[in-house]
Amino acid sequence: MSDFFEEIKRNIIAGKVDQEDEGFDGDLAGKPGVIELVNQAVDENVSPTDILNKALTPGMEEVGRKYEEGEYTIADMLASAECVSEATNILKPLLLKEDVQSKGKFIMATVEGDLHDIGKNIVSTILQGSGYEVEDLGTSVKADKIVNKLKETNANFVGLSALLTTTMERMGEIIELMEKEGVRDQATVCIGGAPTSEDFAKKIGADVYAKDAFDALGKLEKTAG
Amino acid sequence: MNRGMKLKRHSFLSNQECQVIHDSSCRLLEEVGVAATSEKAIDLFQKKGAVYEQGRVKIPKNMVEDALEKTAKEITLHGQHSKDNIRLNPEDPLVYYGTGGQALNVLYYHDGEFEKKSAGTQDLIDILRICENLENVDFITRPVEPDVPEEKMDLEKTRIFLENTSKHVNLANLIKLDKLPEIIEAVKDKSRISFISCVLVSPMNLVSDTVEKFMDIVKEDIAVSISSCPQGGSTAPLSEVGEIIQVNAELLSAVVLANLVRPGAKVLYRGIPITSNLYADASPRWCQPESIRRIAVITDMTYFYKIPCCGTAAVSDEKEPNPQTVAEKTLSWVFESASGAQFINSAVGMLEQVLTVSPEQYIIDNQVISRIKELFSQSPDYDLAEIAQKAVHDALNMFDVNLDSQMKQDISNRIEFILSPKEEYTPEYAGSQVDTISKAIQSGRSSNKFMKASRAGLRKGWLYKGMRLEGQMNLDEVLRIKKQILGWDR
Repeated sequence: MSDFFEEIKRNIIAGKVDQEDEGFDGDLAGKPGVIELVNQAVDENVSPTDILNKALTPGMEEVGRKYEEGEYTIADMLASAECVSEATNILKPLLLKEDVQSKGKFIMATVEGDLHDIGKNIVSTILQGSGYEVEDLGTSVKADKIVNKLKETNANFVGLSALLTTTMERMGEIIELMEKEGVRDQATVCIGGAPTSEDFAKKIGADVYAKDAFDALGKLEKTAG
Repeated sequence: MNRGMKLKRHSFLSNQECQVIHDSSCRLLEEVGVAATSEKAIDLFQKKGAVYEQGRVKIPKNMVEDALEKTAKEITLHGQHSKDNIRLNPEDPLVYYGTGGQALNVLYYHDGEFEKKSAGTQDLIDILRICENLENVDFITRPVEPDVPEEKMDLEKTRIFLENTSKHVNLANLIKLDKLPEIIEAVKDKSRISFISCVLVSPMNLVSDTVEKFMDIVKEDIAVSISSCPQGGSTAPLSEVGEIIQVNAELLSAVVLANLVRPGAKVLYRGIPITSNLYADASPRWCQPESIRRIAVITDMTYFYKIPCCGTAAVSDEKEPNPQTVAEKTLSWVFESASGAQFINSAVGMLEQVLTVSPEQYIIDNQVISRIKELFSQSPDYDLAEIAQKAVHDALNMFDVNLDSQMKQDISNRIEFILSPKEEYTPEYAGSQVDTISKAIQSGRSSNKFMKASRAGLRKGWLYKGMRLEGQMNLDEVLRIKKQILGWDR
C-alpha cells in the first residue's frame, strides 16, 4: 500500500497528471499518472484520507519546498497543483463520507469586459491544489452572475481578477452589488491582477489583495487564523 | 532635416523559415481559427469565404494571401509640418522612434528619489512638452490618459495632442466608437493621426468591441497598428517558434478583416511576442533577452509580406531609471532598429512593463538613442554583437555608471542569448507547435496548458537567467534638460 502513496507522491512531484502527460522533462508519456494511480488505489480500497494525508499533502509540500529553494518554477508548481486538484476531484465524494472538510469554497472570476485569465487560472489551480474548492466562472463575468452564484452555493470566498485599467473598476461594483443583495458578509473578497494594489483593494472595500497565488495562500491562511 | 534612420537590416530568419511560419500560421487559422463574437465581423468573414463554427472563424489560406496582397504597402503619417512626416515602406525602410503607453503612473524625481503618482491630464501635457523638444522622438503615442470621464476622453486627448505637439499623433486606442467622426473633424487631416488596435487577446481571440472600433477606423482610411502581445509560457507556447506562429496567425486574422472592410487597408503589423516570467509570478518579461530576440525576429515576417511594420522596443521591466533600465532598453533599441522595425512604438519613456512613465526617462532615452544612431551611422556594415556591446557600455558611461567585469560579462551573455537561435524553424517542429496551440485552445484552459508545456523549455534555458545591473546614475544633465523644458523642477 505504501507503494501506492510513494508512486502518487512521485507523480505529483513530477507534475504528471495522467498517462498522456509528458511530465517536466518531456519523456514520461505512456506511464500512469496521478489520475490513473488514484483511481487504482480507490479501486483497491485504499483509504481516501490516507491518500490525501500520505500522498497528496506530502507531495505538494515537497513541491512547495522545491519552489522555495528555486529548483522549481511556477510552471512546475502549477502542474503539481493540477495533479492534486484532479486527485481531490476523484476523492471528494469519498472524503465527504469520511467527513473531511475542504478549507473553503471560492467563486472565481475575471470581471466583465476583461478576457485575461492567466492569473485567475494559476490562482484557481494553486488554491485547488491546496485544499480549497474553486468554482471558476471564467472571463468577462457580469456582477449579477457572480452574486447569484454566491447566493446559490453559499461560498465563503469571492476571487476577482482584472488585467485592464478599464475593467478593474468593475470589482468595486461587484462589492456594491454584494452589499445591496445582503451577501457581503457571507464571503471574503480577494482581488488581484496587474493594475490592482493594496490601496485599490482598500478603496473599493475588498478584504484581501494578493499579488500572486502564493501571496493569496499566505494571506488566506492568516485570515483563517 | 527629415525624420527616420536608414540602416542595413539584419535578418534573423531566412525566407524559407518565414515560409514555414506563414504556412503554419495559415494552418492554425484554417483548422483552429479565431474566436469571435462580433456579428459584424463574423458576417463579413463568412460572406467572403471563411467558415464560422462553434464560435470560431476559420480562415482559408487563399483569403489570407489575398488580404496580404491588397494591404497598403506604403503608409505616410503626417506631422504638423512635412519635415515631421513618417514614411513607412518595407522596400525602402527607415526607422522611427516614438512613445507608447497608457501608463497608469508617472515618476517624478524629487530630492534624490523617484516618487510615483497616478497619471493625469497635466502629466500628459508635460510629457508632450518634453517630447516636443526631444529630437529622437519622431512620433507620439498616447503615453498617459487625461483624467476626464471616459465619455470625454477621446476628444480631450485629441485637443491636448493638437495643442502640444507638432509631431505625428498616435492616439493609441479609441475609447468610444461614436467619437471617431468628431476626432476626424478636429484633426481635419486624417493622416495626422493613427491608432493602435489591441484587437486580439491571445490565444486567438478577436475582442468584440475593439474589433468594431478597428473596423470603423479602417473604413475611415486611417492608419492603424494591429497589435498582438502574447506571453510565451502562458498565453502562447514558450517555444519561440510556436509563439511566432501564433502571433503571426493572430495578426493575419486582423489583416484579413481589415482588407474585407476596406481593400488596401492601412494596417501596420505589430507582433509583440514576449514571455511570461515563469521564474516568479508569470508577469510579462518585456525587455529580457528572449523577448528582445522574439520581437526582433517577428519583424522578418513584415519584410516577408512586404507590409509596414510597427515595432516595439525598450519597455523596461524595471520600476525606475537605473543602470539595468538603461542596459535593457539599449539592447532592445539596437536589436529592434537592426531588425528594420519601422514605426518603433513604446520606445521612449516606458518603465515597469508599460505601467509607468517618467519625464526623466524620456530625456535619458533620447540621449541614448542619439548615441545608438551615431554608432550605426559610423559603422554602416556593423557587426551586431559588437555594436550592441558598445552601445550599452557607452550608454552606461553617459550616466557615470561604473561597469565591473561581472556586469560586462552579463551584458555579453545577454547579447549572445539574443543572437543565438534555440530551436529549428523546420516544418516538422513548427507542425508540432501548431498541435500544441490547437490542444491548448481546445482544452478551454489554455494558459495552464501552455504553462505546463513550458517545463521542458524552461529546463533547456529558454528564459534568460542573469543578473541585474546595480549602481548609481548621474542624472544632473537629465535634470537640467527637464528644468529647461518645463521651467520647474518637481
